Formats: sequence, structure tokens, C-alpha cells
Amino acid sequence: MSGAKKRGPAAEILVQNLWWNNPIFIQVLGICSTLAVTNNLTNTAIMTIGVSLTTAFSSMTISAMNKFIPNKVRMIVQVLVISFFVIIIDILLRAYLPDISRSLGPYVGLIITNCIIMGRAEGFARSNPPLLSFWDGLTSGFGYMAVLMLIAVVRELLGFGSLFGLPVLSALLGASFTPWTIMIMAPSAFFLVALVMWGAKTLQENMKIAAKAKQGEAK
Amino acid sequence: MKRDGMLYTVLFTFVICMVFVFFLALANELTKDRVAANRRLSERSAILAALGIAYSAPSQVDSLYNSQVTELKTDVGTIYKATVDNQNRYAAMVTGPGLWGTIRAILAVDEAVERIEGFQIVSHNETPGLGGRIDEGWFQAQFRGEKIGPEGIVVLQGSGKGDPDPNNSQLDGVTGASRTSQAIQDIVNREIRVFETLRDQGGLR
Repeated sequence: MSGAKKRGPAAEILVQNLWWNNPIFIQVLGICSTLAVTNNLTNTAIMTIGVSLTTAFSSMTISAMNKFIPNKVRMIVQVLVISFFVIIIDILLRAYLPDISRSLGPYVGLIITNCIIMGRAEGFARSNPPLLSFWDGLTSGFGYMAVLMLIAVVRELLGFGSLFGLPVLSALLGASFTPWTIMIMAPSAFFLVALVMWGAKTLQENMKIAAKAKQGEAK
Repeated sequence: MKRDGMLYTVLFTFVICMVFVFFLALANELTKDRVAANRRLSERSAILAALGIAYSAPSQVDSLYNSQVTELKTDVGTIYKATVDNQNRYAAMVTGPGLWGTIRAILAVDEAVERIEGFQIVSHNETPGLGGRIDEGWFQAQFRGEKIGPEGIVVLQGSGKGDPDPNNSQLDGVTGASRTSQAIQDIVNREIRVFETLRDQGGLR
């Protein structure tokens, strides 16, 4: 845990969740959906917004109820709260955004099994006040979103030649553009997630070394 | 009452389930009509598209459907009948297993069951970008006017851009999605049999 020295708790949470303790490349949670939805930017955006909101609201609810939850059934109650919000999102999508609901198919229901949500409930919301937990859940979702969007840009651009469904590469290169079929399939996400992890961790190590060197100079 | 006591735990779990389920049921009840309307709209637009009735906006779907399509109740389910270009066309919902999940589509044929008039996917769970491309225009357009052979139709490996010849009873499959293409062939041919049986029994009126 390196990083901030003089930040307020909210800013510290933001920096931790987006970078130093990112759910994907540090905690390695929520990988299943990373493989499944990132071949298309639109689906990725909706999915990650869904996860962010679910994490935020379920963390807030669990934090608010925490005093009353018996320890024995703690996790069952957490799952109940999480699935409640996921089903609400699913119902809203089906009613108001039917096209997106159709293209996401079973993935919305699978938000329930996203480990980030329960991870934040157990790791943060249980011992922190509701508003801060809401913020923690939301920013964790943003950390997840940032990585997934990055991967989705690469996969959609190379796999379909488009971004958000708008032809980009296929329009620029015309018939000479050949879609990379592997990018559409799940395995490509394995490679890309690994590259992101490698890159982010190397960068973090370098930042830590640089910070230490600076401290040394100051002394 | 002790927070970790047996009685409290049971009561708490019971009450909390009641509360959350109540709100879910409420949300479901409030959006039920909207969800049903969305579902009906997507089915009806697929039926219109398969029968070859053109519409330019989703708001026209219901009025066009009501004025042009007749629903015939038969032993094998609802058949949708419409007269387009002075010719009777019949459509039905077809369902069958794809690679990952159920494919639901509308298949339309002419009165003599000699040619396919249209094919429109309603829903599927195929791989996006591979099998999922069956809902793209070029794939579905190949079916329009395709002659039905003795064995029905064949979805073959071709250029992957569409088969323009309507008389060879052949269609191009989706590149990289042989199993989905095979599934479409099976689903369509099975339904063609149903239409032929129905025609022989005089069910297509």
C-alpha cells in the first residue's frame, strides 16, 4: 500500500481502487466477465455501469444494515442484497433498454457472481459507514470499468474493425482489413488481461522505486 | 435478543427476505406490461420482416401487423398469414438449439411451400461476431426467395458473404461458425417439413 500521504479518505479510496488496488490487475477479481463481455464496447460499457451501480448500492445497504446482521448468515444476506440489486437492474434493462438487454443476454444475471461486489462488501462495507462504502463500491466499479474498456477497445477494433459499432478500421482500410477472429473469442481476453497486469505491475514497481529514491534524497 | 442467537438469526433472515422479495415483486409488477410490449414488438417486427412487409418505424409495427397479418390457429401452433404482392405467405415461429442456447426465429414460405419467403432471427445466444452474425442482414437476406429442394435447404461453407442464387437451395454459412450454421439448417428444414405436412393436410388456406 504505497501512494497517498495527505489525501482525504474519499480521494484515497479513489486512487486505491483505480490504481494501487485495482480489482482486475491487483485483486484479480471479476475475471469471468472480463473474458465474456469485452469483445464489444457497448456491452462492456453497460455491463461495467451495472457492476459499478450494484457494487455501490449493495455496499451501502450492507454497511447500513451491518449492525443488525447476525454473523452466521452474514454472507447469505450479502448475496441476497447483491442479487436484489442485480435483478432490479435486469428488470429495468428489460423494460427500458430491450435491445441492450437482448444483446447482454445472461450476462446481467451473472453480475451476481462477480467477486468484486462481495469482495467490497466483506472487505470494506462491513467496517465502514454507508456513504463511504457507496463511494468505495462505485470507485471499485470504475477501476473495473477502466480496465475492461481498455481491453474492449483493442478487442472490438481488431476483431470487428469498429468502435461502439461504428466502422473505423474497416472504413479506413476497406477490403484489405481482415478481422482478427481470435479477438472476438474469449482466449484473446486472457492474453490482454495478462498484458495489462504485466504493464500495470511493472509501472507500479517503478513508481514505488522512484518514490523511495525521492524519500532517500529528502533525508 | 442476542444478535447471534438462533431465534434472532432465523427471524432476521426471514424478515429480510420478505422485504427484499416484496420490492422485487413490486418492480416486476410495475414493469410487466412494458416488458410484454417490448417482447410483442420484437416478435411482430420479425414476423413482418419475414413476410416481406416493409415498415419504416417501430411505431408502425402494431398497426401494420393488425391490418395485414392473420393468425391461424393450427395443431402445430400459430401460423401467421399475409397476402403480399397478391400472393399468400405463411410464417411460423421456429425454435431449436444453437451452439450455446435456443435460437428463435420466424420462417416464412409461399403457399405451395416451394420457396422460402423470409427468415428473421428473433433471439439467440450465439457467440457475438461468429455465430451471432446470423442476425445480420446479409445472412437473413439469402433466404428470401430461396427454392426449397427435396431435402429442404443446405447451409454450406461458401464465400461467407452470402449466396445470391435463389434456385440452388443453398445458402452461405457464417465463417467460423459451422455449428451455428448447421443448427440453422436443421431448424429451418424441420420447419419446412411441418409446413409441407400442413399443406398436404390442407392447413394452409
